[in-house]
Amino acid sequence: MNLPTKALLGALFLCISTGAHAQLAWEKTELEINPAPGADSAVATFKYENKGTTPINIKAVRTSCGCTTAALKKNDVAPGEKGEIVATLKTGDRVGQQVKTVTVETDDLKSPQTILTLKANIVQLLELQPVFVSWTANEDPKPKTIVAKAGKGVTIKSLEVTSSTPEFTTKVEPGSTAGEFKIIVQPKETGHQATANLTIKPDKSAGEGKVFNASARVMPASS
Amino acid sequence: MRPLLRQSVLLLGLALLPAAVQALYFRDRISWESRIAESDMVSVDLARSWGTDAVWIDARPDVDFERDHVPEAILLNEDRWNELLPQFLQQRWSPEKKIVVYCSAESCNLAGDVARRLREEAKLPNQIRVLKGGWEEWLKTRK
Amino acid sequence: MKLAWRIVGLLVGAVFVFAGLTKIVDFQPFRFLDPMDFARDIDNYKILPWGICVALALYLPWLEVICGIALIFRRWYSGALTILFALLVVFIGASIAAKTRGIDITCGCFGHLSNQLSFAWHLALDFAIVAAVVALWWKRPDDRLATNP
Repeated sequence: MNLPTKALLGALFLCISTGAHAQLAWEKTELEINPAPGADSAVATFKYENKGTTPINIKAVRTSCGCTTAALKKNDVAPGEKGEIVATLKTGDRVGQQVKTVTVETDDLKSPQTILTLKANIVQLLELQPVFVSWTANEDPKPKTIVAKAGKGVTIKSLEVTSSTPEFTTKVEPGSTAGEFKIIVQPKETGHQATANLTIKPDKSAGEGKVFNASARVMPASS
Repeated sequence: MRPLLRQSVLLLGLALLPAAVQALYFRDRISWESRIAESDMVSVDLARSWGTDAVWIDARPDVDFERDHVPEAILLNEDRWNELLPQFLQQRWSPEKKIVVYCSAESCNLAGDVARRLREEAKLPNQIRVLKGGWEEWLKTRK
Repeated sequence: MKLAWRIVGLLVGAVFVFAGLTKIVDFQPFRFLDPMDFARDIDNYKILPWGICVALALYLPWLEVICGIALIFRRWYSGALTILFALLVVFIGASIAAKTRGIDITCGCFGHLSNQLSFAWHLALDFAIVAAVVALWWKRPDDRLATNP
C-alpha cells in the first residue's frame, strides 16, 4: 500500500457498526424531530431491546446539557425485554437545529456505552433580524429597520410594536413576502442617550400570547 | 506498479479540489481549533487582563449561575434568551467592550451558541470570545 | 462474463458515489451539509485530533465520490479500487478499535439514512462491498497493469 498512513487513519468515519454483537440493541440511536413552531419541548423516544440471553442493567443515563432530560422507566432489562428512553429537550428560546446527546451506560461488557443523538429543528414563531438597533451620540437620527419574519409554517397577519419610551418611534410596514414585516425604528434625536425595549406582539393567529423583544439605544457620548 | 501509483495519486489529488471549494464555501462555519464553530477563544489569563474593558457573559442554565458565577458576569442563556438578551443590550452593552462568554467547561457548547447568536441576531460589532476551558478553568485562577 | 463484472463495477461505484454524496448534501430539501457536523461525528470516536477530523470531514466524502465515479467510468480503475479497498480496511480496523473501547456509536456510513438499517444488515452490506471490491480487483482489465518500469 503506497498511501500514507495518515490518509488511511483518516477514513474512520465510514464505520462498520459493531452493534451486531451487543446485547442491547437500539432501534435507532439518532433521531431527528421537528417540533411545532413555538412548542415548549422536543421529545424523542429511543427504543431498545435486550437481544441477548443475560439481563442488562442500565447504570446511568447522562445528557449533554441541562436543557435535556432523559427518562427511563426502569434500569433492569431482562432478556427479550423491550424498553425506551424518552429524551426531552426544553426548547426555551433556542432556534435552528439543536443537537443534544444522551449517554447510556450499561453493564453490557460488549458495549458499555451508547450515545443517543437527538436533533431537533426548532422553529420560533417570529425571527427578528437584527434584534438590536443603535445610534452613536449625535449620529444622524435616520430610521433603522428590523425585519420580522414568521417562522416556517407559521402564519402571522399583523404585528403590534410598542416602544417602552416615547424617545423612539416605531412603524410597521409589510415586508417583501407574506409573513414578513419591516419595523422602522427612529429616535427623536441623538443628542442624549436613550434606551427602549420594543415589545413585538404577533396577532393571535400565530398562537397565544408569545411576545418578542427588540432593543433600541442611542449611545451616550463616548468616554 | 507505476500506473497504480500514478492513478492513486491523481485520484487523491483530484478529490482535494472539491474539498477545498467546500472548505471555502463553509469558511465562516469551519473552526480548525475547536468543536465550537467560528467562535474565537480567549484564555482565562488574557480575559482577566482585560479588566473592565471586558463584559463577561454566563451562558449556563439559571441554576448554575445562581449557585456561583464570575463576579459581575451577566446571565444570558438560550433558555430565557428573549428575556435576558434585551436586558443585556439595554443595560450592560456598549460597543467598545470586549465580550467574554463562558459555560461550564471546554466541552460544553452553550457559550459557542450564545456567542454566535450575539453576532448573528444582535449584529454586535464587539469582539466576542469564548472562554477557553470555561467556568472550570476560571475557578482555577480565582483568588 | 465481462458484462457481469462491468455491472458489478458500476454498482460498487454507484454505492460509493451515493455514500459520499449523502455526507455532502441533503436531498430533502436540497442543501449543502455543514462539514462541522460531520467532523463532530468523527470526533466522537476520540481517536484523532480535532483539526484532522475537520480535514477528513471535508476530504473523505469527495474521495469516495471521485473514486466511485472512476469505477463507473472505468478510468484510473486500479487506483480507485486500491483507495476504496484501503478505506474499507481502515474502517474495519476503526470499528474493532471502537468495539474494544466499548463505544457503540452507530455512525452514518450513508449519512443519516444508515440509521434505517439494522446492525446485521449494515455489517452484511459492508462485507459485501469489501468482497465486491476484492473481486473487481481480481478481475480488473490486465492492460491497466502493464509491467513497465
